[in-house]
Amino acid sequence: MKKENFNPADEKLGALLRESRTFPALPPRFQQNVWRRIEDAEAPALPSSWLDALANLILRPRFAVASVAALMLIGVFAGMQEGRQAARHEAQMNYLASVAPHSLR
Amino acid sequence: MNRSLAILLGALALGAAIVAGSYFASQRATEICCANPADDLSWLRAEFHLDALEMARIRELHEGYLPKCAEMCAKIAAKKGELEAALGSGTNINPEAQVKLNELAALRAQCQAQMLQHFATVSQAMPPEQGRRYLAEMQKLTLGTHESMEQSMSGDTGHEHHH
Repeated sequence: MKKENFNPADEKLGALLRESRTFPALPPRFQQNVWRRIEDAEAPALPSSWLDALANLILRPRFAVASVAALMLIGVFAGMQEGRQAARHEAQMNYLASVAPHSLR
Repeated sequence: MNRSLAILLGALALGAAIVAGSYFASQRATEICCANPADDLSWLRAEFHLDALEMARIRELHEGYLPKCAEMCAKIAAKKGELEAALGSGTNINPEAQVKLNELAALRAQCQAQMLQHFATVSQAMPPEQGRRYLAEMQKLTLGTHESMEQSMSGDTGHEHHH
């Protein structure tokens, strides 16, 4: 096979090659459609019901951490209140037992 | 749908467990931390905001009262023994048992009067407002149960009757 001798950097040849290529015409609003499809693909899928929306919310790390912290605070606060009341009642009963015989109460 | 429901139920269960766990842990910790079973008077100090001087005076009154209270309790216990012996195994209340009953009631009244007098003395060792609150609280705690029992037995609920 005979090896042809041509220079790929030849500008004339390059121009001829470019001219010889045919590009099909783009459909109307091609660029806008491409951007719209990219945006749609990046947007999170919309939940189909309130239950799905709630589940999605629960699974968000920020929401989950905040909820756990809030629930713990509620539990600790309520427990402390109840514990104080119980300790107060116990102390009151101790005092009462020391000064008032049970048969008089 | 099923997955979302499972997530929701799981989250609810976890939330309930977190609230319950932190509630019971902090309740127990607070009870242990705040309770002072060794000192009978710890409730007075905390409840009526008493300072060291007032507490010292009240402690003195308290310690002076305890032997008198113990003496009355011993007398009541002895009289109860006498009453039981007088009642014996009979089915009627004999005259001797009636006498013992009256003596027991008199002893209880005497003990109660002594106790109320002690409350009044202690209340005077407190700042006036706290003293009034203490006296009302102690009267409610020691006499209130009898009042509620008597009211429930007599059917008197404190309501006015219109005829």
